[in-house]
Order: sequence, then structure tokens, then C-alpha cells
Amino acid sequence: MAKRQKRFEVLDAREVNKDGFVTEWPEVGLIAMGSPNDPQPSVKVANGMIVEMDGKKREEFDFNELFIANYAINTAVAEQMMAIPCVEIARKIVDINVPRAEVAKIFSGLTPAKIAAVMDELNVVEMMMGIQKMRARRTPGNQAHVTNMQDNPVLMAADAAEATYYGFDEIETTVAVFNYGPMNALALLVGGQIGRPGALSQDALEESIELQLGLRGLTAYAETVSVYGTEKVFIDGDDTPWSKGFLASAYASRGLKMRFTSGTGSEVQMAYAEGKSMLYLEIKCVMITKGAGVQGLQNGSISCIGVPGGVPGGIRAVLAENLVTTCLDLEVASGNDQTFSHSPFRRTARLMGQFLPGTDFIFSGYSAVPNYDNVFAGSNFDSDDYDDFLILQRDLKVDGGLRPVREAEIIELRHKAAKAIQAVFAELGLPAITDEEVEAATYAHGSNDMPARDKVQDTKAAQEMLKRGVTGVDVVKALAKRGFPEVAEAVLNIQKQRVSGDYLHTSAILDKDFNVVAAINDLNDYQGPGTGYRLQGERWEQLANIRHAMSPEDI
Amino acid sequence: MSQQDIIAAIVKEVLAELNGGNGSAPAAAAAANGRTLNYKTDYPLAQKRRELVKTATGKSLDDITLDAIMSGAVKAEEIRITPQTLEYQAQIAESISRPQLARNMRRAGELTRVPDERVLAMYNALRPNRSTKAELLAIADELESQYGAKVCANFVREAAGVYEARDVLKKD
Repeated sequence: MAKRQKRFEVLDAREVNKDGFVTEWPEVGLIAMGSPNDPQPSVKVANGMIVEMDGKKREEFDFNELFIANYAINTAVAEQMMAIPCVEIARKIVDINVPRAEVAKIFSGLTPAKIAAVMDELNVVEMMMGIQKMRARRTPGNQAHVTNMQDNPVLMAADAAEATYYGFDEIETTVAVFNYGPMNALALLVGGQIGRPGALSQDALEESIELQLGLRGLTAYAETVSVYGTEKVFIDGDDTPWSKGFLASAYASRGLKMRFTSGTGSEVQMAYAEGKSMLYLEIKCVMITKGAGVQGLQNGSISCIGVPGGVPGGIRAVLAENLVTTCLDLEVASGNDQTFSHSPFRRTARLMGQFLPGTDFIFSGYSAVPNYDNVFAGSNFDSDDYDDFLILQRDLKVDGGLRPVREAEIIELRHKAAKAIQAVFAELGLPAITDEEVEAATYAHGSNDMPARDKVQDTKAAQEMLKRGVTGVDVVKALAKRGFPEVAEAVLNIQKQRVSGDYLHTSAILDKDFNVVAAINDLNDYQGPGTGYRLQGERWEQLANIRHAMSPEDI
Repeated sequence: MSQQDIIAAIVKEVLAELNGGNGSAPAAAAAANGRTLNYKTDYPLAQKRRELVKTATGKSLDDITLDAIMSGAVKAEEIRITPQTLEYQAQIAESISRPQLARNMRRAGELTRVPDERVLAMYNALRPNRSTKAELLAIADELESQYGAKVCANFVREAAGVYEARDVLKKD
């Protein structure tokens, strides 16, 4: 085109056109839902064993299919549930007169292809209706990422405290540099308990190191335990459903909460999608999770969001994977956790699928730090978007898990967290934290505002922590000795969760008094208006009371 | 055997294990007054059945205080879940129609007896192309004979068969 039309020139310069889009290409799996290569649903049960599933004989099953057939499907009801037409099951998901338990019972007998076909009957509003009813915990929640590019422990503790004070039930960190794992876990644990006692913390690392930190009580749960929808990709990920199932039992044997992680697009990204749709493969992941007896799953494409985000109907498929997780009676930590679009409209629209109905964790997680400090390749929303998020909650009267905070409170809290981690470092013989660092972390926007630390020393010290076997109990002692008895008490209460095992159950979180809130004593009972979780009373007043609202007295 | 029968058999096996004197705490069935726990009446255990929850050394939740930690009366390694507690939690999961979760908790109950390093090593051995069939079967036997971990042993045996069929065993 020699001569450009001016409106198109403007359109081409818009943020949204920096995003990547592709047309469907089913042969390589670049299709969100309903690939022509997806199998037709079928099941045959003989002597309590599945001998045919989705058009394949048992002898032809790959290891994912064997695991699903052996563990994830209730063979006693499978043939009966598979006989219900897809559209009827889809209607039961949306119908407020059909209780959650009935839908969950139906899903306990469905195969992957059947579930995929049921999802294809639903539009996004119906999917949101479904999540509102099928979400396991009645009260919605939220999770945050707390990381920084320097792995600065003082900043991390202050950021963790701020995050849990805003209301995140879980906080997750990882490392910018490989060796910092134990130190980051420590900073997150201490800071998190200062912002809001009872918040659960985790450190996403290589599987066996992540488990070790859990065993030592430096983390309260684990999430980065990935499963995949095709055998080939699972092997490339260096695991099988059996190794991951064993690992799940290992966590529970030490009383530690955990969930698996998966997401649409990972199989395409790893180039072995076998021509199947992204949703069909993801449904297998959800069923492997269920079969392993894991209480929950982080999904919603997660780190592969660019893949479904680029194809037609991709964001609907991402919502569908969250819905499938809830229909299979699992906790869902529902994504929204990677920078997915340059366009703020798209980012917000993508969020609505989980935000409006509410999920166990709407984000997994929300970036509680500036985008540049997010080591998980950013998030859909970050700390610069807090007020946008709070106002969305207020505009729509939706509980997204956060509450408005005041600047003076945050300054005080960040200072306390920085002082506490300074004290713990001193007591545990870790590299000193200066008063200058405490001051910087209190007022920082991000790691660019922090004085540099001696990284060689910090790395050594982090490895030393592992060798010396520093435990959560050592942290308790250090806090108590150095004048932080209430923080010590909170960290001790986190350790105690590993004795009762109450928080091993579906969708379990802890309130500020360390009472467990799970999809048992807080089971979702939504059945239409007047039921389920309702944002009202004190909580609504709290969410409505944003910083910059003028009252009549001000005018 | 139906699914129900299998589950019932597993429950009996685990209870027999627990009563068999392998653990240090008193027998599970007796402490629960001879009935299985239910999510409606018994959850959370820490509130509703606090008396049933013990550490690996038989201490109660109320014994784990800041003072006890500071004086060294309670140590880090004691703050651990027991097979009995995991069995109670499995019963609760079963009562709310989550049989898979219950089964995982029972496998976990068995693994409480396996040392940390050994658990990690077994997990690594189960990764693809890491073990021969004989090596996996040896782990299964170890689980069963040394730790009385029958459910886990069968899980590993099943893996050995699947890995052979799907060609993910180590080539020797």
C-alpha cells in the first residue's frame, strides 16, 4: 500500500497491535477448543476397569490415559454419566436449581473428550455462572507474586508484608538468581506474617529443592509441581503422573499443602500437542491432578498465556479450564499471572472471567511488586495497578480479595518487616542488613531504589542455610529473641499447621487467627440470588472506602 | 472387587498397620471411638477433635507453645504429622466424596515412616528413564517390607509395569 489511510495508521500504532495473533492451525495444536483431531467421547467399563476411553482401547493408552483411567474416573458411574447429552450437562452447570454436588458427581464419571465437548456448549457468561457455583470454597480469595530482580531480602520482606496487608491469602516468590531460594523463602515467611498473620507462603523452585524448603518449615505450601497433557511433553518435563503422584504424597506425608500446575498452550509451546486442542489436553492435566489425589490446581494457561491468547476463542478456553477444575471439585488458582497483552483493555477483559464469579485464588498471582521486579515474567496486574483493581471491586461490588490501605499504615508495616528481617538475619548469622537498607525498603517503589548488596556473600549464606538445615523453628526463636514475639508466634502457628493436616483439604486457607477456611467448613453453597458468598456488611464498607473518595463534609 | 471394596480393604489395611505397633501413638480406631470421622462433625480437627491431633512424639497442639520452643521442650523435628492424623483426614475426605484425596492421604500416611532423603530419592527414581524395572520393583519391596507402605508399594509396582509398556525405563 503506497498511501496509508490515516485511521489505519493510528490503529496500527495502538498497544493492542503489539500483541501476537495467529490463525488456527489444528495440525500443530494451535487451536483453543474443538480440534478436528480431538477424539469422540466414549467409555467402556468391564469388571470395574476402563477398557475403552474416547475411542481408544486400553492397550493403546499412553501413560496419561492409563493414569486417568485408573484413578480419575469413577468407574461405578462412568457409563451412566457419559450417556447424558453434553448440552444437558452444560445446562446443569448453569442451572441454579442444580446443586454443586450433583454436577461434581456427574463430572466424576466423565472422560476428557466428553468434558471438552461439554465446555464447547457454553459461552463465557455461562462459564462464569458455572464458576460462581462450582468454585469449591464459598469465600473467594487471591494470591500474589512477591519477587525482585535483585533477590533483595529486605525489600522482599517489606513487599510481602504489604501484600498480605492488602489481603492476599497466599504469597509466592521465586528467584532471579538460582541460589537464593532459601533466603527468599525466609524473607517471604517473616514479611508475610507481619502483614497478615495466617497468610501462606511458597517459593517456586526445582521440585526437590522446593520440597526441602517445605520440609524445613521455610515455606507453608507448594505449587510449582507441573503436569502435562501429552506423554511426550510430560517426559520432556522430566516427570510422569506416577512420579508427580508420589511427590504429592511426599508433601502430604510432611503435612504440607500443595497443588499442581498446568495450563493450555504448554504442549504447543513444547511442540508435542499431537494436533489436539489446547483445552482437550488441559482437561487431561486437570484429571491427572484429580487422580493423584491433589486437592487443587493452578491453571488458566499460566506461563503459556501468549499461546491461547493469540488464537480465536483462546481466552474463552482459558476460562473453560478454570471451570473444568472447579467441576472436578478441585481448588483452582486461576492464572491471570503473566503479562499477556500490551492493551489494558485486553488485560482487564481477560481478568473478568475469574474476577466477576470469584475463584479460590483469582490471580496466581497478582504482582505485588512493579512489573520490572516480577521475576515470573510479569503479571496481568501489578502493584502500580492496585488502585485500579480496588476501584473495579468498588464499581462492580465484587470481592476480589483486596482492601484499600492507607499510606501511613504501609510505611509503618514495611518498616516493621524490614526491621524484623534485619533482626532475623543478625540472629541467624546471615549477612548484615544495614539501617540504610531498612529505610530504603520502607519507602521503595522497587529494587531500583535499594542500595546494592554483596551478592557473593548472600549467595554463599543462602547455600549455608541449606547445609546448616535452618528451620522455621529457628526463625521463630530468632524473632522471639530479638523482640518480635507476636511475629514469632505467627511463624510458629504456620509450623503447627503441619501437625493437624487440616489445611491439606480442598481450597484451604487460614484466617488471621489461624483457623482453617476450606471447601468443607466453607463449602460453596451458591444456588442463585440470596445464596453463596455475598459481599455485604462490614466487608463491603471496607472495600467501598477507597483513598480518594470525597465525602459530603469534604465539599 | 468394586471401587468401594478396594477402598474398604485399604482402610482396613492401614488401620491394621497403625494398630500393629509400628507407630508410637495409640491406636487410631480406638481414639476415634470406633467410628470414622465425618466432615460435618469433625472438621477442622484442630478445633472439633483437638484431642485426636498429636505430634510425631505424642504431644498435643497445645503443647507447642512459644515457651516450649524457646526452652527446647519442643523441637523442630517433632512438629510433624502422624499416620493416624492423615488417616483421620482421609476419612474426612472420603465423607465428602473425595476418594482420590483420601487415597493420597493414605499413601502419605505410609510415607511418614520413610526418611526425607529416601523419599526424595524414590521420587527421583520414579522420574522417566531413571530406573530399570528391577530397580523400581526393589523400591516397591523396600516400601512394603521396611516401612509397611503397601499402598505406595503397589503404586510403584504399577508404575514399573506402565513404564515398561510405555518405554520410559532406564536402558541398562
